[in-house]
Amino acid sequence: MDLNDIRGGRLDVISEESEQQDFSRESSTMEAYTVVPEPAGRTFQRFSVNTNESLRFEPCEDSCPSPTGAEDGRDDVFEKGECEGEITSTRNQLLGKVAEMENFAGHLEEIFLTVEENFGRQEQHLEQHYNDVLQTLSQRYDDRETGLQEEKKGKLESLYNQLVACGQALDTSKELIETAQEVYRCQDKRLFLKTVMPVVKRVEEFAKEDVDLSLSTSLEFITPLADLSDVKTMMDSINIVPAPSAPVINPQLPNSATQTSLHVCWSLFSDDTVEYYELYYRPVLEDTPADGTCAPQESKVKVKETHCTVTELLPNAQYELWVTATNTTGISPASEKALYMTVPSPPVIKQRECSSCPEAALIRWESGNTNPVDSYTVELSETGTVGTENSITESIVAVPTCQCLIQLQAGRQYLISVRAVNIGGPSDRSDAITISTTGTFFYLLEDTAHPCLSMSEDGFTIFYGDEELPITAMAFEDNTFTRCVAILGDLIPVRGRHYWEVEVDDETEFRVGVAYEDTERDAYLGANGSSWCMRHIRTPSRHKYEFLHNGWSPDLRITVHPVRIGVALDYDRGTLSFFNANMEQHLHTFHCHFHNYVHPCFSLDNPGALTVHNGIQAPDYTFI
Amino acid sequence: MALTQVSSNKCAGGFQKVFKHDSTELNCKMKFAIYLPPKAETDKCPVLYWLSGLTCTEQNFITKAGSQLAAAEHGIIIVAPDTSPRGCDIEGEDESWDFGTGAGFYVDATQDPWKTNYRMYSYVTEELPKLINANFSTYPDRMSISGHSMGGHGALICALKNPGKYKAVSALAPICNPMQCPWGQKAFTGYLGADRSTWEEYDATVLAASYFGPQLDILIDQGRDDQFLSASQLLPDNLIAVCSEKKIPVVFRLQPGYDHSYFFIYSFINDHIKHHAKYLNAMPHCTATQTSVQSDRPLGPDAQLQ
Repeated sequence: MDLNDIRGGRLDVISEESEQQDFSRESSTMEAYTVVPEPAGRTFQRFSVNTNESLRFEPCEDSCPSPTGAEDGRDDVFEKGECEGEITSTRNQLLGKVAEMENFAGHLEEIFLTVEENFGRQEQHLEQHYNDVLQTLSQRYDDRETGLQEEKKGKLESLYNQLVACGQALDTSKELIETAQEVYRCQDKRLFLKTVMPVVKRVEEFAKEDVDLSLSTSLEFITPLADLSDVKTMMDSINIVPAPSAPVINPQLPNSATQTSLHVCWSLFSDDTVEYYELYYRPVLEDTPADGTCAPQESKVKVKETHCTVTELLPNAQYELWVTATNTTGISPASEKALYMTVPSPPVIKQRECSSCPEAALIRWESGNTNPVDSYTVELSETGTVGTENSITESIVAVPTCQCLIQLQAGRQYLISVRAVNIGGPSDRSDAITISTTGTFFYLLEDTAHPCLSMSEDGFTIFYGDEELPITAMAFEDNTFTRCVAILGDLIPVRGRHYWEVEVDDETEFRVGVAYEDTERDAYLGANGSSWCMRHIRTPSRHKYEFLHNGWSPDLRITVHPVRIGVALDYDRGTLSFFNANMEQHLHTFHCHFHNYVHPCFSLDNPGALTVHNGIQAPDYTFI
Repeated sequence: MALTQVSSNKCAGGFQKVFKHDSTELNCKMKFAIYLPPKAETDKCPVLYWLSGLTCTEQNFITKAGSQLAAAEHGIIIVAPDTSPRGCDIEGEDESWDFGTGAGFYVDATQDPWKTNYRMYSYVTEELPKLINANFSTYPDRMSISGHSMGGHGALICALKNPGKYKAVSALAPICNPMQCPWGQKAFTGYLGADRSTWEEYDATVLAASYFGPQLDILIDQGRDDQFLSASQLLPDNLIAVCSEKKIPVVFRLQPGYDHSYFFIYSFINDHIKHHAKYLNAMPHCTATQTSVQSDRPLGPDAQLQ
């Protein structure tokens, strides 16, 4: 058979190749240890694997001749040292070559094995193919034979029937002749006359009957032309590769996605030959109707590799992907559909809603994504120390909500950023926020501000203007103070020590202190059990001070009007102290165990301004 | 300068002791009480001088005020001297409770027969601190002063007359303006003579009006139901008015329901010890900064006044 011939031929070639390879290896090994070079031109066998993956040998001239020549090296005894040096270098070169050769030989062996393996596979494949063809032919033969047999049987049957009919006709005519002869030989004329008429009638009738003597069936057999086109196709297809089977798309790998791109991988069955793949993808939208009538348009990319990076996608979105493989023979069925997810957009830190104290920071942010993400990662690094610049020193993972309370160390500076995370991986880092843990830092809660209060741009100075707003112009919301011209500060919920300062001028009537978050909005600060404050009242003759809680104040006199008031809150000891910060003078201390978290509160009882100073290290004297 | 221990009792982890010594200023034997906090066993401690009121000895404060726990907590030595020389055999010494024995008024008497012994001002500002610093482990530059009633007057004048000498000052129901009250007038006439201008040197309100020196922080507590307040013996409003005008920081607390007794002192002594601790235990570097700021001033007011 041809197949065997081809196989034999190829095998021969391969074995020749290997023999030559062995020989060349031997010779090179030999040369490596032969110090005296052979005078005759040595040849090295140089091997290369060309692009067609077939092996080729290129005999080439020795590429490392000794510069002095082999003869010189042997004769010149005076240059023995030099010669030895050369020999050593030559030997080293040769050793290098040998290593190269061995390496190459190993490579060849590998190729040899691969070729053999591929060949075996191909052989098997061909055998199966030919078996298929033979089977098809034999089936075709059987079918045809059965047809002919049946035709023959039909023809014989019809001929036989004709024969029987002829015999019957013959018998009938014989009997008629006999009857006529009998009548003819009849002596009795009267009887003759009596009987001749029916006989004549019968003969006449008989003569009327037409006996069909032509052959009722054709002697020829119908032999339709055999349609062997399918066999031919089969034969043709023996030498070409089969169409690939459906590739297997891999599930999404961690960190393989970005905000706008997905890296997709798939694999093929090792027997398949594929010219290119086509990757299809389309976003999975949650509000798409189940019947898929308005399913989003699918996109397609053609790639040669078994991986592809799809770009220009939406962030934090799920995509459905599938892949087909194509070769000259045809297209594979589509792979299973895989679901991949792009990573979310980075969150946006809400600077004005972050607060901190020496032990902790409360960071709040916006998701930055319309769809929900799985979680957030908060990353922090300490700045200002050499070597830790830009390196993340701590990460808090799996934060479920858009805020996180982070434990920190006092007296440091941190850069804090946030990433949103979904199944596709983490987003880019958000813009970082700088947190200094020197003191307590908070912003004012604008939504609590009485309508008459306005705020400076930096949010730390509040103004109560001279002109009275008409009551109709005041927009009271659920959270605003309606009676006391007050505002709350957003103190971090940490039960530690907090210190801040308030700057006022001589004439400003104010109340500063703390209040529970839910303190009555229609009451004056200090007038109830949910707020504690220092109140300044300017009488024509003097400054008056009250330290109000539940509407009661101790009776005290302060000789120097404080224009910068230090407020020190200590949850553990249950104290709230007020100081004249410029003079380090203690003014008053409330003793109260704050069961809930409190917020700083500030109010202006007459037109004026008040400035909050934040992030100040608490002086030593504040927490004696 | 030999000290004789009269008593020693363990108290609040430290020791409450009483010593006797021969006073050169007063020319008599004097007793003083000293509380040594636990910290004093190993470290130097600052000293708070407590001046008691009329009729008191060194015993009243240490047995009634309950100051030892707070002193132990803050690591402060409290020295409480007697309120006058005793046993000097001066005629009229024991005639009244508000003059003579138990009523030294913390002045240096200039009138006979008092001027040899009744030198309580020099005793509490000079002799006693020297004695204490020589015999106990103290920080000589970290001292403060406080007192009750007549002792409150004493504490205020000591602080106002010696700018920078005392790191802090406080008083409970002090006689703020003795020139204007019967007690003060009686005592000053007796010890200093009829010339009112010599009284001014020992009147807190007058002294405050001319005070020039490092910033003081004065804490004053006063019972609202104090009989001597209503009898115009104490006159805190006069002092407050001057301090307001002179911008000397005072926190004056009028405590409703309290009288003039040691029950009142007991109720607020912790606040006062804390007030002193704030300045006595301030970190040394802070003190250094303040000193340097002061020395930057073109005219050294401290030097001028001293």
